[in-house]
Amino acid sequence: MTASRLGRPPITGGWRRGRQPFTGQGRRAVAFILAVFAVTSVAAVGLSALATVRAQHRAVVIEVAARQRTLAERYMNDVLLTRDGQRADPKGTARLLQLSGQALLDGGTAPGVDGDDDRTTVAAAQGATVRRQLQQALHLIEDLIATGEAFGRHQPTAGLKLTAGEHSLPADPETRLRVLATLTSNVSLNAARTIAANADRQLAMLVRLQVLLGALGLLGSLLLAWLLVAATRRQSAHFRSLVHASNDLVVILTEQAHCLYTSPSVTRMVGRDAPNLIGPGFRGQVHADDISKLLTLASSFDCDEPPPLRFRLRAGVGWRELEATVTDLRQDRHVQGIVLNGRDVTERVALEEQLHHQAFHDSLTGLANRALFRDRLDHALARAARGGHTVAVLIADLDEFKQVNDTLGHDLGDRLLATVADRLAIITRSGDTVARLGGDEFAIILEDTDEGLARAVAERIVTETAVPVRLASRELVVGASVGVAVADHPGTSGEDLIRHADVAMYAAKHGGRNRFEMFHPELARHAGELLGLQHEIHVGLQKGEFVMYYQPEVDLAGGAILGVEALMRWASPTRGLVGPLAFIPAAESTAAIVALGEFALFSACAQTAQWQDQGLLPDVFTTWVNVSAKQLTAGGIRRTVEAALTAAGLPPTRLGVELTETSLVADNAGFENACHELEELHQMGIRIAIDDFGTGFSSLSHLTRFPVDALKVDRSFVSGIEHHSKNAVIAANIITLAHALGLAAIAEGIETPEQLAELQNLHCDMAQGFLFARPTPAHEVTALLATPTPNPFGFPHLIGVP
Amino acid sequence: MWGGREVAMGVKGAVILVAVSVMLAGSSCGGPSAPRRESTVKVSLRDFRLTVTPARVPAGWVSMDLSNEGPDTHEMIIVRTAAGDGRLPLRLDGITADEDALAARKVDSADTVLPGTRRTLRVHLEPGRYEVFCNMAGHYRAGMHTELVVVVPS
Ligand SMILES: [Cu+2]
Repeated sequence: MTASRLGRPPITGGWRRGRQPFTGQGRRAVAFILAVFAVTSVAAVGLSALATVRAQHRAVVIEVAARQRTLAERYMNDVLLTRDGQRADPKGTARLLQLSGQALLDGGTAPGVDGDDDRTTVAAAQGATVRRQLQQALHLIEDLIATGEAFGRHQPTAGLKLTAGEHSLPADPETRLRVLATLTSNVSLNAARTIAANADRQLAMLVRLQVLLGALGLLGSLLLAWLLVAATRRQSAHFRSLVHASNDLVVILTEQAHCLYTSPSVTRMVGRDAPNLIGPGFRGQVHADDISKLLTLASSFDCDEPPPLRFRLRAGVGWRELEATVTDLRQDRHVQGIVLNGRDVTERVALEEQLHHQAFHDSLTGLANRALFRDRLDHALARAARGGHTVAVLIADLDEFKQVNDTLGHDLGDRLLATVADRLAIITRSGDTVARLGGDEFAIILEDTDEGLARAVAERIVTETAVPVRLASRELVVGASVGVAVADHPGTSGEDLIRHADVAMYAAKHGGRNRFEMFHPELARHAGELLGLQHEIHVGLQKGEFVMYYQPEVDLAGGAILGVEALMRWASPTRGLVGPLAFIPAAESTAAIVALGEFALFSACAQTAQWQDQGLLPDVFTTWVNVSAKQLTAGGIRRTVEAALTAAGLPPTRLGVELTETSLVADNAGFENACHELEELHQMGIRIAIDDFGTGFSSLSHLTRFPVDALKVDRSFVSGIEHHSKNAVIAANIITLAHALGLAAIAEGIETPEQLAELQNLHCDMAQGFLFARPTPAHEVTALLATPTPNPFGFPHLIGVP
Repeated sequence: MWGGREVAMGVKGAVILVAVSVMLAGSSCGGPSAPRRESTVKVSLRDFRLTVTPARVPAGWVSMDLSNEGPDTHEMIIVRTAAGDGRLPLRLDGITADEDALAARKVDSADTVLPGTRRTLRVHLEPGRYEVFCNMAGHYRAGMHTELVVVVPS
């Protein structure tokens, strides 16, 4: 009944029964029904037999009772015949009457009549009425025989004792005899009737009982059968509702992947009726790649716990992915198949794939992210090690991207990155991995390549990224600096390769941008030193390894010390005392340069304030501090200077800043801001000098735009000035120029009295150099300042540390 | 066991008969004739004696309550006769009363009263003498007869 709805009836039903605890219950119910049938049948048969026996007995008893009537009449006749002198045997008849009457009452053998051998055995009479009647019959027989015998002997009968309650018998003996015979006959007849009626009632009762038993048995059996069916229905309804309501997908297959049963959830999902799926039709719905899995199911039972089976089913236009536990019920006679109990994991798998993709892909460009890039690279290197071919890593950094992002907004920046990603994907082969490592940095893995191919790809990246990108009606031009690293020897790790490509990329950037650079060991060494130095600077700053040295500047007119140039020294525990040229360029690419600049300003201001407090300084005295271009363009120089002056309690007029000529190049970023800050510093009273004047390429017009107070003549022009070389001409012109613009001229690197003489001749204002003093620690300058100078130019050549 | 049941059923049948007769009596009481007191006569039947109690009743409706005390089956016939007790005309066999000859004087009868059962017979009796008897084979001559006298009610 339910099986037909579920699919193939016998399988389904049997399978269900085989799995339900109903089995025992059902068997017990059936056994009970059979037992009820058997008991009632036996009872009915017993009753039938009893009825038959009763009926036979009844017939016999009635016959004997009826015979008594005949015997009573015969006795009367015998008596009359005997009295008339004819031959008769009243005594024999009397005996027969008595014996039969006794037998009817108490059971026993009734004698045969007329010599017949029809002796009949009867059971004792039952029932009070019958027994009273038979008793009465015996009394009447007794009275009859007594009357008969008296009559036969011609004796009076009136005085005979009566035993049967006769009330007023006729006095005439013959009439009396006839009355008694009639009474005997009649009571015997009535007894027979009563016996018959009783027996009929008993038989009727038996039949009724039989019918009742039969009906009870039938009803009982029907009731039990109904209960059984109801229980089965409930059970199957339960199962059906479970199967219908459940999302579990149940499929039973043969070893040939022929379907024996599918649950409604499967037909719902597949969108086909069960008849279409039963048999070989099921395989048509399975993904071609998964059919082999279903065909090899039988072998999976070799292990104790078969692994869950994953397979795809066609559902409408798409596929659904199922994960099923597999149970071997081929030996179960109710099932005879392999049961797959599955769940639809399509969404879960899709989600997993999506999460996997999200975890390993850049959401903006859809390219691989750093994690996937690393993974792919490790795999590529492993493959390369096996296959003996070469892997290359290219790292491309967009040159002008930050500017686009800052000025045109992130939205446009994102679109620009997506465009570049597309171009990179086109350039590379499908097997290559293109990744976005973050920001505007892209990376590419080239597999099965060589240096020439890698170079070609890098070249193409440079040219392709240089093609203007049209976005939001603008033509954006970005370029890329590309670093290439080729894993040219086995054992190169992915990390190495990435770092090498990075170094090469930075080299390309430093080398002028919009180009590529192949990595070579020299680049690595340089980069390594730089990194080490930067680290040491960072640590040194924290440990207080940096100190300020001061080199006096002497007034060439009067010989007085009218200023010092503050020069930084690094007392490195590994490198010894190091001058700024050795560490400032390294520091310039890091944030350390700003920290170093602050240290210089604060130290110099504090020292100068100390000298002033000691009363060692003349009215005009300037401490010059070098400010790097980086420091200047980073912004905030004015605030730093103010802070340093305030901290030291030093008037601004005691401080001067020296700028290099290159830091004043107009196309540097932050130039405008720097100009503004310098203007403010100058207005505070701080003096400004251009360092190394004449070595750079700055336009002379800059001098008019800056609030400059002094020009420092580079030492290269000072040396040889006494020989009237070309340098001397330049030095003379610089000094003349300074004076023409109203600036002071300060000569650097004066070493000999001849140079001193020549500079004095050129009316140079001030000078510094070994002739007067080397850069020395502050306490030595203190001593110099404290020493009165009767001969202004009689500087001992001893002071200062080389 | 069956005998006991038989008795019970007999008694039940008698009870039903009593109920029916009571109903009949009720309906006659509502009739045009003036209501009169109804007499009851107990009739005892047994082997082989028949007694009526009382033996004298006022004329009118008489309820005759029969009770067969057995052991044999009996009957009761009531005929009006002035002949005297035990003097009914007999058939040729000389044993049973000649019912054909008595037909005109017969008031009513109850046939086949099984042993152990009761029955009630309602009869309307005019003043006079009546013979009450059992005429089953030989019973009349064995003594099952008695006289019932019906008198004019005072
Ligand atoms: Cu009688």
